[in-house]
Amino acid sequence: MSKNYYEFTYIINPVLEDDKFKESVDKVSKLIEKNGGEIEEVDEWGLRQFAYDIDKKGTGYYVNMYFTAPAEAIANVERQLRIDDDILRYLTLKYDAKMLRHRELQKKNEVPDIFAIEDDEDDNNEDDD
Amino acid sequence: MIKNPSHPKKNQRKVKQCKFSRAGLEYIDYKDVETLQRFTNDQGKILPRRVTGNSAKHQRQLTTAVKRARFLALMPYVAENLR
Repeated sequence: MSKNYYEFTYIINPVLEDDKFKESVDKVSKLIEKNGGEIEEVDEWGLRQFAYDIDKKGTGYYVNMYFTAPAEAIANVERQLRIDDDILRYLTLKYDAKMLRHRELQKKNEVPDIFAIEDDEDDNNEDDD
Repeated sequence: MIKNPSHPKKNQRKVKQCKFSRAGLEYIDYKDVETLQRFTNDQGKILPRRVTGNSAKHQRQLTTAVKRARFLALMPYVAENLR
């Protein structure tokens, strides 16, 4: 059974009370572990404004996490979450080699800033229109 | 590109280069909304390659990243003021 590295983001219904968020997060983490996954990092972004309304709600509690799990686990986890009314949205991404390398950079905080170089270039460029 | 050396616009031509390639970025993250927003217009549409100068490879990645961000309501499908 091969294991893959996954990134998983989900949005919890904001109408819940504060301690219910923790409960939901724990529930999802347990669900993943029960299916043979190993959680590496859980990052709760907290309440965030939506760019558009989801189910007539303007905000949501975002949780972003990374874990390793066997491929079969994902279908199980997703099925459970689809039933769960407190989870508004979820997104699972399987990491490939490129994304893993990017993640390593992220961990080390060395992601190159794509706009940093631009400014130098513009100074040297005399032919701007 | 203009071949004629005496063409008046010869020196005004700005060579566009893909910002992602130049920085050596391998993967465009959907969570990095600030960056993604610089590649969309005020309506929330993804800018074409001829405007941004992205490489084909990175434009494809950017598109998926923007669409993922839209799905999670991090970015709008259609901007608020236009709806």
